[in-house]
This record gives sequence, C-alpha cells and structure tokens, in this order.
Amino acid sequence: MTKSLHKLKLSNEALLEKMLEALPKELENLLSKAQVHEKWPIARLISIFERNTTENLIARHQIVSYLNAHPGKFNKQAMVLGITGTPGAGKSSLIGEVCLSLLKNSADISIAVLAIDPSSHDSGGALLGDRTRVIFPVKDNRLFFRSQASQLDLGGMSKQTFHVTRLLRKLFDVIIIETVGIGQSEIEVRRLSDHTCLVMQPLAGDQVQFMKAGIMEVPDTFIINKCDEDTLAKKSLHLLKSSLKLASIYVDHQESKKKNIFLTSATKHKGIDELCQFVLEQAQEKVSQKSLNQQEDYFLHKWIKQAYGEFGMGIFKHFAQDEALCTGTLEQKELRFKQIIANFLKHLH
Amino acid sequence: MSDEKKAHLLYDKEGEVTKDRPWIFRTYAGHTNVWASNELYRSNLAKGQTGLSIAMDLPTQCGYSSDHDIAKPEIGKVGVPINSLDDMLVLFDNIPVDEMNTSMTINGTSMWLLSLYVAMAEERGVDISKLRGTTQNDLIKEYLARGTYIFPPEDSIRIIVDMYEYCLHNIPAWNASNICSYHLQEAGATPVQELAFALTTAITILDAIKERDCFTEEEFERCVGRISYFVNAGMRFVEEICKMRAFSEMWDEITTERYGVKNPKFRRFRYGIQVNSLGLTEEQPENNAWRILIETLGVTLSRNARCRALQLPAWNEALSLPRPWDQQWSLRLQQVMAYETDLLEYPDIFEGSLVIESKVKDLKEKAFAEINKIIEMGGGVEAIKTGYMKSSLVASQGERMSKLIKGEQIVVGKNKWTDGLESPLVKDSDGGIFSVDAEAAKKTIDALNQTRKNRDQARAEASLKKLAEAAKNGVNMMEASIECAKARVTTGEWSDTLREAFGEFRPPTGVDGQSLSIESDTLNQVREKIEQFIETHGYRPRMVVGKPGLDGHSNGAEMIAVAARHAGFDVIYFGIRLSAADIVQSALEENVDVIGISLLSGSHNEIVDQLFEELESNGAKESIPVILGGIIPTPDFQALQQKGVKRIFTPKDFDLMAVMNDIMDVINDQKSA
Repeated sequence: MTKSLHKLKLSNEALLEKMLEALPKELENLLSKAQVHEKWPIARLISIFERNTTENLIARHQIVSYLNAHPGKFNKQAMVLGITGTPGAGKSSLIGEVCLSLLKNSADISIAVLAIDPSSHDSGGALLGDRTRVIFPVKDNRLFFRSQASQLDLGGMSKQTFHVTRLLRKLFDVIIIETVGIGQSEIEVRRLSDHTCLVMQPLAGDQVQFMKAGIMEVPDTFIINKCDEDTLAKKSLHLLKSSLKLASIYVDHQESKKKNIFLTSATKHKGIDELCQFVLEQAQEKVSQKSLNQQEDYFLHKWIKQAYGEFGMGIFKHFAQDEALCTGTLEQKELRFKQIIANFLKHLH
Repeated sequence: MSDEKKAHLLYDKEGEVTKDRPWIFRTYAGHTNVWASNELYRSNLAKGQTGLSIAMDLPTQCGYSSDHDIAKPEIGKVGVPINSLDDMLVLFDNIPVDEMNTSMTINGTSMWLLSLYVAMAEERGVDISKLRGTTQNDLIKEYLARGTYIFPPEDSIRIIVDMYEYCLHNIPAWNASNICSYHLQEAGATPVQELAFALTTAITILDAIKERDCFTEEEFERCVGRISYFVNAGMRFVEEICKMRAFSEMWDEITTERYGVKNPKFRRFRYGIQVNSLGLTEEQPENNAWRILIETLGVTLSRNARCRALQLPAWNEALSLPRPWDQQWSLRLQQVMAYETDLLEYPDIFEGSLVIESKVKDLKEKAFAEINKIIEMGGGVEAIKTGYMKSSLVASQGERMSKLIKGEQIVVGKNKWTDGLESPLVKDSDGGIFSVDAEAAKKTIDALNQTRKNRDQARAEASLKKLAEAAKNGVNMMEASIECAKARVTTGEWSDTLREAFGEFRPPTGVDGQSLSIESDTLNQVREKIEQFIETHGYRPRMVVGKPGLDGHSNGAEMIAVAARHAGFDVIYFGIRLSAADIVQSALEENVDVIGISLLSGSHNEIVDQLFEELESNGAKESIPVILGGIIPTPDFQALQQKGVKRIFTPKDFDLMAVMNDIMDVINDQKSA
C-alpha cells in the first residue's frame, strides 16, 4: 500500500478490480496477531476501518473478505452493547467497573471498548478523555480500549464506529460502545448495537422531560447509576417504573424484548455483578445475520444520504435490483454506487 | 510622654510605644534523604530561620514506600523521603521539636506524617501537647491542582475531621489542616476564585466537623480558631493587598454568621504565605529576584492582613530545584524587609483608604456570589466530583495563557524586552541547577529494609489490622495510626491499608468543555498543516498526552491537551499518576501519531528511559515519536534527545500554537520517514 494510490484517483472500475487482489501478507500478519489480541496490531487494523482513503477502503474489503473466508480461525461473533446516557451519568466509570469485574470473573472473556467523545465545532479536534475514569490493568490482552471522535456526525456515532464493529465482532466476545450522550446519539447507537442500555442518574430529570425527548423507547435496558444511597435508589426506581408505565413501554410479560432495570453504583461497586451476569447472558445469544445486514444497510443508506442527499436515495431505489449493489462487502457496494453515479453523470453530458 | 495616642504609632497593653514581631521566616526545604535534610534544617535554623517547612518527596506524599516501582524515579527529588518512624527520628535529630513550629506540606498521607511526628516526640520523651505546627492536609486543592490525593473526597474529609478531633484534645496548638489557596493561584485562579474556592474549602471542613458533633460549643470555637490558611501572592500586589484584606473580613463574617463564633480571637484569619512561583520566568531569571520582593509587599504591607509565616521561592525555580544558596538569598530578603525597614512600627497603613476599601468590597461581593453558587450546587465535595471548580480553573488558566501569547499581559523578558545581556548567575559550574545524588536513594532503601528487619513483625501486623478496623467502623484513626508508627509500619503499608478500605479516587480532569480563544497566524498555519494531513492520510492526527510518575501538577499537561484540540488534533488525555507502561499501552491501543509527556518533578531522565524501554519492547520505538514538556534543565537536553526525545518544551515555550506547529512537523517527519 502506498500513498500514491490515494493520490492517483483511480477509476471506480480499476478500484473494484484492485479489491479482488488477495489480502497483502502484511495485513494477514496483523490479523493473526490481532486474533490473539495483541494490542498494537488490533489498533492498526482499527485505524484501517476508521481512515478515509482509497487504500483503506480496499484494505477494509480485503480484510472483511478474508475474515469471512476463514470462519474457523476467526470464529468470534461478538455482541455489541451500546451504552448511552447524559454526560455526568457516570458511563465511563460504570463501563470500567463492568469490564474489571468481567475480567476478574471470566478467565476466557475478551472485551473491546469503543468510547466516543464529541469533536469541537470550532477546530474539528476532540479531547478523548474516557480513559481518565478507570484504572485498567496494564498488559491484559483480554481487554482492548479505543477512543473515537464523533467527527461532528449528527448521530454522534460516525460511520467509522460501525466500520470498527465489523472488525471487532470477529475478534472479541463483547464490544461495548460508549456514546457521547448528547444530541441524537441515544437513538443512533441502536443502529449498530445488538443491545442498548441507557444510563441515568438517580432522579434525573422529570418524567415529562423524558417522554418529550422520546428516548424512553430506545433502550432495551435501563441502568440507574450512582445509587450510592439506598433510599434515593429506590425512589428513582419507582419513578422510572411509573414513567415507563405511563408511556406504556414497561411491559412485564414474556415478550422477548423485555425492558430490564438495573440499580448500580460504580464507586461503591453495587449492582455490578448482576449487570455483568446480564451482559454475559446477552453475549451468549447469537446475533442474527439478518440484523447484521440491517445494520449494514442502514449505514449504506446513511452514507448515500450524506454524500448525495435525496437525489442519491432516489438513484439507489431505482437500482435496488442491481445485483452488484446488493451483494459483496459494504466497500464493494459503496464503489458500485459511486460507479452508478459516475455513469449517470456521464450520460448527462 | 503625652497622653494622647498618635495614630501612626503602635501601643502595647501598657500603653507603651511598641513594634510588631516579625512573621515566621521559613524556607520550604527537604531533599535527597533524611540525613541530608536534617543537616539542611539545622544549618537553616542556625542562619536565623525561625520555623521549619518540610518538603516531602512524591512517594511519601502519595503513600508509597521508597522501594515501590513507581517511587524509584522520585526518591528524594522534590523533598525528603520518609518511610517509617526511624526516618522521622533521623530527620529531627538534634532539633528541639518542643520549641519548633513545624509545617509539613503533606496531604494524602497527612494523618500518617502527623502520627510519625507524634510518635517521634513521644519516643524522645517530649510532651506532645507542646508540639506546634501544621499539616497541610487540604485535599480539595489536591483534587483541583496539585494531585497528591489518594482516597475519595468523602473519606479524605473524614481523615481531616479525625485529625481535628484528635489535635484539639491532644495537640491543641497544631493546625490539623491548612486551607490552601496557594495552589489555586498557581493553577490559574483569579483573586475572586482564590477567595471563593479557599473559603468554600474551609466551609466544607467546618460543616463536616459540625456534622460529626464531637465538640462542645467552646471546643468548636477553638477548633474554628485552628483553621489556618496558606495563601499565594502574585505580581499585582495592590490587588493582592486587597485580596488578603478581603480574606480577613470574609472569614470574620463566615465564622460569625455561619458558625456563631463569639470569641474574636478564634475568628481571626491566620495565614502563611508562599509567594507566587507561577509568574517566575525561565527567561532572564535574575528578574525573579525583584518579582519575589514585590510579591512579598502584598502580604506584609497591611498590618490588618499580614501573614503569620512567609516562605519565598528561589529566583531560579523555573529552571530547577533551588540550591541552598538560592534559598539563603530568599531568606535574606525577608530579614532585610523585617529588620532594616520601619514596616513593623506602624498600625495598618491602609485603613481609611477609599481605593483599597472599594476594591476589597468588590472582591468580597464577587467571591461571596461564587461561594453561594457552589453551596447551592451541593458544596465543596460535590463541586470536586462534578469537576466544576477544576473546569473553572482550567478556563482561567487558558485565558491567562491567551493574554500572554497575545501580549496583553506583559511579562518582562518573556514576551517583551526579551533581548539582553546574559545573566552571570546561571553561568557558575553546575549551570545554576541543583541535582539529587543518585546514591543517596540507596541509603534510604537500605534503611527501610533495616527497619523491616528489626521490627516486631507481629506488632506491625496487629497495628495495621487495628487501623483497617478503625477505618471500617468509623472510629477515629489517629490512635491506630500512631500505634502503626511506633510499630515501625512503613508509609506504603499504612497507605495500602487505607486504599483497601476506601478505594483510590480518579477525579475529573478539568479538560472537559474547555476552549481557548487563541487566534493567531500560527494557529492558522497549524490548522492548515492538519487539513493537509487529513487530506493525505484520511484521518485527524492523534496525540496521547500523559503525566507519568507521581507528579500531580497536571495543569501544564491539561493546557497542552486543550491547546491540541484547539489546533485540531484528536487528543487522548487521561490524567495523572500513570506508569510508562500505562502511557505506552494507550498510545498503542489508540494508534497515535505522537506521545507527549509532561514532567515537573525532575525525574524526566528516569521516566524517559522507562518509556522508551516500553516502546522498544512493543516494537514501536521507531514508529511513535515522543515529545517532552515541563521543567527540564537545559543541560539535560542533549542526553534526552540522544535517547530519542524528538522535541523538548519548557515554560519558555508559552506560545501554545507554536508548540502545536512544532508537533505537526514531528508527525509529518515521522510519516515521511
């Protein structure tokens, strides 16, 4: 891989061709090391899934194809747990405690944490400070922590986040995504998570505020954190239940998507074991191919909308039957779509 | 003599004309090991110093024995290492502790050091009720600025209250804690913030004491009387005079109104001072001598708000740790001021000044407004946990830096009149800097091993068990700690026992929500470089900023983190007290383009070695460039660069965007390598 490829601005056809080349030895090596959870190789692979150049696009395709072609070696199929909630709810500390507890109690588990922080509207840069709240063990390869900037994406969840989960799903047992917790991220995180938790503070906000925001429908599980004190915790639990009932969400029957409520205190280590048990149970459940496809479709559509607007979506619908647009990796689909657009523009001339 | 008293004269109780006694002269001192420090104290006392101010090294302050891995690079660097009662006995050998006023700059382990001091006195047969002095013990400012906290806020407050309770009954002339606004100013606090945050801290402590309800009314009044302050004074000395007067008046009002203290003696605002080091420059360091003098005026001129004890920094503090001569020079300034001038012959010389009174009123109003705001938000402990106070400080610091860079605030020799003849003061043989003898650390560790070998192991273990129980059961831990001291428990053991009981605290960093207002050509240049980088590589350059080791002065690192985001970097910042392994692990996991570390404690050589070893063992030494910032003496530059450090930034490099520009060059060089 050389810089020149990006600068050359090859045609879409040439790039599609190039994608079909075998995975370079260098990347194959990285994958082998990542498979046994060596940190730097994983980190460099993640970068390939985050970076926006032609080389990386091609490498992404090659890596995903390689992973799919070697299901025996890359036999993990991680569950993605989305953790959202307002800043100050103590998400980072809670995630830290959950991870430490999982590592302590399950010798074989492997966890990847992806923590997202907002980018500055002024400079575009970001302060990624989620590592501050936890003292993670050094050199324990069962845990991998990565920070990501939201890149001003409206959902607070960039396309990069989704890309990275495509890789990490094949390498870990559990992936935990921590959202920025502001704007639309509560809603957006559901698009790439198999299970979403909303973390709240005791007595946070009044009930009406909750319903207005419409975020109560989003999470699969509610966590009332910072329950250092029992009376306050119980009061909050009661309050939450009643507001959920009011919104007719909290239904206690055996529906598959039962809403769970946990009371925790990261600092006093309360309720962490129960939450960990729950995470482990969730991790056992197989993620369906259908839901993975749905996730991928969502992010493909989102990209088209962002890049080409409603016009793009119109074209996309028109070509819904196009075989190349419906098969292969996300990268192939993206390139195929670019090809369609390019052809379309050519006809305009 | 006429009967009519003159307004410009001071009279004693008998009506005779008198003059004030000078304040206590102190020098913040301690280094290398207990033997060297003992010698230093005795020679300082012989030179006319009237009190002791003990500087401890970082492991002692953070609760690690000298043989702990994280301690090793720091032994004896910024103060004296104290591992056990045996060390304490050596440190005060041949010093009359019953006559001494001893101030200890100790916080996270304050209860331990006081216990060692008490045990030392008892073993020497000194009546402990005669002991006088101060344990700094202001944890709130540690969370905010200085970083040697260990336990969570609630537990830290409990330790402080335990100490007040014990001291009032057993060592009545001991100040169990000091309310420090000193470090707040160093961290960028404005005078209003200094007043507000310091007084909020005092309120937090007194409220907690009230809540425990362990004193009679009379005892509580005396306890309020034991609250003393440790304040900072900067270059704006007229404003500083007013700040000190505002402090006195506000304290009187708070103790009267909030705590109903009737005896005016116990409402008096008592404070010690260390004048500002923040304004001291690395450039043309000889100018700092004048700055120290001017800063001294702010806390000595007004009799109604004059300091009780004064410590002066040394002229070359921005270069490195001061040598004995540098400290002597500062002591001489105090002596000249107190004995050659007529300052101490007059009553308060500002009383009735319209200007001073109006300024004091203004400061008071603003500070009370801020105090009320914090109390409404839930008080001091809550404002620590939410990061409110920390963020305010980082914001003020950012503003100060912006003004310096824009030249709106003039600092002679730094951003104006920067050319000049070179100072002969920095030219003597050792380059004008002090360095710690590495062999001396070995002596400390040998003594520690000796103590462990000679002690009654069963007694040591039993005393630790009792300490753990006291911690768990809410019993006052002083007695148990003193027994630990006598049983030759070590600093690390005492701290670990309480870490187990209370947990360790990670406070908010203060970088959240910060922004800088810097707009400059350099900023545009950097942002352009970053845009080009994104265009070429498809992502924003990533930097990890870390503070390795035990040095908790995080503000410099936080400024860099905030500035880097302002420039357009994605910055991973994760607080203080990190090992080299922690930093390298994050750098690898985050796949960063550059590692930036900040060090002020003088242990940069050791820590840089550790860092490169870690990088090397991960095969990343050639791939991730390392830059270094902090107080790094120029003579060390070459060796550091040879080890592989790509750039070194010191307080001279105050133009943050020029620093960022330089860092972008380092990254681009790496990419094209």
